[in-house]
Amino acid sequence: MSVIIELIQSLLIIIAAILIIVASIGLLRTNKDLKNIIYARIHILGLVDIACIIAFIALDEILLGAIYFILMPFTAHAMANAFFKSDDKINNSKLENMDGKNETNPNIHPISEFKQSKNEENSFNENSDEKFTVSTLEIKEDDET
Amino acid sequence: MEVLLISKIILMIALVVLILTALRISAHNSTAMGLIGSSVLTLAIALALVTFSKIYYIEFNFDIALALILFGFVGTIVFASVLGGDE
Repeated sequence: MSVIIELIQSLLIIIAAILIIVASIGLLRTNKDLKNIIYARIHILGLVDIACIIAFIALDEILLGAIYFILMPFTAHAMANAFFKSDDKINNSKLENMDGKNETNPNIHPISEFKQSKNEENSFNENSDEKFTVSTLEIKEDDET
Repeated sequence: MEVLLISKIILMIALVVLILTALRISAHNSTAMGLIGSSVLTLAIALALVTFSKIYYIEFNFDIALALILFGFVGTIVFASVLGGDE
């Protein structure tokens, strides 16, 4: 009887390993230029989660498998929700109209503001260099005359 | 007996592949991709710890795996709520 149980365990573990390898290849090979690639990767993550739950159960860790089975949908939904609210300019019409500004979240700053501030800093430095060079040129002109 | 050990070793190899994949995903530019990668990495390391402890009979790895799963979940939820903003 125990031999049959061990065979079933090893079969489940091998199935989980195959699913994990297939999901890993899928995660790596999906084209990142696709439209909703984040949602596709979260979908593939569901396959990894189920494979790991099968492996937990096959390894006699029913508690870990049950806990992760309960927690898994919350994690996937939270990640998809966060991406939709912060970065998804294709599907979220609010982000499309706001042109990168996120008023609901103070932790996210649009990249355009960052680039603008960077350009202002660079322009200040450039102006200071120009002033310095102009002054040196004037001195040289005085020396020549 | 040997079949079970071989299957555990195959699972460990698959988990190493998954961990490398998760690290590669975490290195993307997008913050959401980093979130997905860290979530996968937490799960893969927890399962690898359990499998390792089943092979070498190390008991305390179960507690580490349980803590990893619980705190990984909490960290993912908190980071996702910060990223998504409060309404």
